[in-house]
Amino acid sequence: MSFFGAASSSTTANTAAAADKDIEVADPPTDSISSLSFSSQADYLAVASWDNNVRIYEVGQNGQTQGKAMYAHQGPVLSVCWNKDGTKILSGGADNAGRMFDITTGQSTQVAQHDAPIKCVRWIESPQGGVLVTGSWDKTLKYWDLRTPNPVSTVQLPERCYTLDVVYPLMVVGTAERHIQIFNLSNPTTAFKTMASPLKWQTRVVSCFPAADGFAVGSVEGRVAIQYVDDKNSSNNFSFKCHRRDQSPTQKDQSLVYAVNDISFHPVHGTFSTCGADGTINYWDKDARTRLKSFDPAPGPIATTCFNRTGTIFAYAVSYDWSKGHSGMTPSHPNKVMLHACKDEEVKRKPAKTR
Amino acid sequence: MAKKKNKQVLRPWCWYCEREFEDEKVLMQHQKAKHFKCNLCPRRLNTAGGLAVHIQQVHKLEPENLPRIENALPGRDGYEVEIFGMEGIPAPDIADYKRRKEIELGLNPGTISQPQNKRPKLDNRALTEEELRAQLEAHKALMGASEGAAAPATPEVASGAVFGAPAQTYALPTAPAPGMVPPPSASPMGMHPGAPPFPHGALPPPGFPGAPPFPPPGMSFPPGMFPPPGFPMPPPPFAGSPPPGMPLPGMPPGAPPPGIPPFPPGVRPPFPPPPFLPPGVSPPPGFSSPNGMIPPGMPPLPMRTTVSTSPPPPGVPGTPAPPPAASPVHQVPASAPASAASPSVAKTPPQLTLPDPTIAQTNPPFKKDTSLKWSDPNFSPEEHRAIHPKYWIANTSEKKGDGQSAASATTAPEESRGKKRARAEDFL
Repeated sequence: MSFFGAASSSTTANTAAAADKDIEVADPPTDSISSLSFSSQADYLAVASWDNNVRIYEVGQNGQTQGKAMYAHQGPVLSVCWNKDGTKILSGGADNAGRMFDITTGQSTQVAQHDAPIKCVRWIESPQGGVLVTGSWDKTLKYWDLRTPNPVSTVQLPERCYTLDVVYPLMVVGTAERHIQIFNLSNPTTAFKTMASPLKWQTRVVSCFPAADGFAVGSVEGRVAIQYVDDKNSSNNFSFKCHRRDQSPTQKDQSLVYAVNDISFHPVHGTFSTCGADGTINYWDKDARTRLKSFDPAPGPIATTCFNRTGTIFAYAVSYDWSKGHSGMTPSHPNKVMLHACKDEEVKRKPAKTR
Repeated sequence: MAKKKNKQVLRPWCWYCEREFEDEKVLMQHQKAKHFKCNLCPRRLNTAGGLAVHIQQVHKLEPENLPRIENALPGRDGYEVEIFGMEGIPAPDIADYKRRKEIELGLNPGTISQPQNKRPKLDNRALTEEELRAQLEAHKALMGASEGAAAPATPEVASGAVFGAPAQTYALPTAPAPGMVPPPSASPMGMHPGAPPFPHGALPPPGFPGAPPFPPPGMSFPPGMFPPPGFPMPPPPFAGSPPPGMPLPGMPPGAPPPGIPPFPPGVRPPFPPPPFLPPGVSPPPGFSSPNGMIPPGMPPLPMRTTVSTSPPPPGVPGTPAPPPAASPVHQVPASAPASAASPSVAKTPPQLTLPDPTIAQTNPPFKKDTSLKWSDPNFSPEEHRAIHPKYWIANTSEKKGDGQSAASATTAPEESRGKKRARAEDFL
């Protein structure tokens, strides 16, 4: 199955289509990209892929990239993250294993194990120290301290974990059947609140506000909900449609509805990006409830996105997301990681109009 | 109420053509366009007088030659009356118009003419029965007999239709929040205030002099080595082949398998030459992958000996989830990772099955014609992808997706034979 072996070479030619100024990462993975993560210390980008590998790239001043390291899982890698001090990369995959890659030694070791593929890994940096949390389709969350082979704690989820996000002390877990569990990480073993997703369709992604007072939920039905944890802010909750297209140019019906694949918050300005299976990316301001920027459509779905630590670089993966099943995975499907240099006016909140 | 009626009856109207308008603004626009338009140039004036002056001065027409006001009723096409919207209408014409309106609407003479824009005084006291009856009589008399029949039925019908089936679709099994997840660590031990943060000699991390004890007091989960009571020793995940540095739970602590460093090399490493960390140093281009690809000491393909960790309960909400039953897994020989060749290598990927079909989700209906690009409400794209032959991993996937098959594929073949058979038959 050398689907993407051929693809990577062919896609380098048509970069201009999606983003004329965005820079393509050199030596992309040979299969679809599942997860991106920037280090919190330097401009290193970890890229997880369905080809079982995690690749680490260094991003230079002008956006040039260089592959630095690579390590393998025994199955497709579904999620990747960095620890706080940027010395370790944590990843989880369809081989049910969580692995840790130490960039100082170049060694990877297994640090977590589930009974089903690990869909999500996140590093929790609490005042008491760092913990790895893994969420799996075996309907559990597990906390790991990386020094012992057994989890520090296991939390039973109502359903398969599809997505989770952490901004200490808030953790939000989205599962199948539209359950959403909110955890206060000062008491990480029990859900602080369990709710049904505000959206009526399958949860695709949850992402915490940088202020840790709420989260955004994206569903397969081209819609994003903004949800505050505290009930007294519930009047600020809302949802909006996005990542839709018209059936034909003549009909303005917006009837083609794509999944929202990822939501990334800007670390500085608190605005956020959404990306979808329709190949578009938008920047939004949830407080002004406005769209700040929309990207030109990419030639394929955007599987995942990530801001770097300062919010100056926005990485996104143009990659097949299985939204059309196996038949959609053609050899010529683009598969690349693009870097977009964020301009301030794109991501900064616009001051409220005074009148 | 009264105001509304008044508005309905006495809407602004144009004196020239007796047309009615929603409000006076529209009336003025109408007059400008229809009646005060100069037919010699595109100019529109606001009043008849204005139009007259314009025509005289701009187009040099004598006053007696002025064209009549266009589109006007006979007798109202002159310039004598200065009309601006509703202003300036001669009183007799207003009265006449009202009278004709009253006749047209079948109202009693004088109802419109009286000032009606004031709210009738209402006292808010509860009406007595007599008053109510009187009002009802009056109402009936006013509305005529035909009303009586139709009125009562309608509300029910309407509400029935509104609250019908679609609403049900949105009902979903809500997650029972409390009581469903037994906090595994809410154990006496974990909570014990006096419990030392690292209450065991077991595995004092040798390579870890400065490492903070992981959960300091107050942190509610106990250190991993000691699963709290009620959470008996989570079945070691890597039963078949422990990765290097992962001491098997069955082994005496501190006695790592020979040939494996006591601790995962990555934890607090002795800092060998860093491959790339210092940002200034530029290592050779390309990936320095080899050392990362397959860690030394790691069997290339550790067949997980299909350890049966009893699967998480198939999502029956409300029932406390039993901890993964500690099946006697620990004694799987650690030294023979390869020997325990999993029988499942040749298996086909499982179907995605719901643990409990009765709680299958359905997508709610769309209000308008919509093509939803991902229309499986029960499984995510990744789940479908992971069971595709290209990505499916034999030794793990039987535990994936459906809770039941986790058990079935592994140490309890008898249990699951029925299911297996069924699948095999499909295959043949």
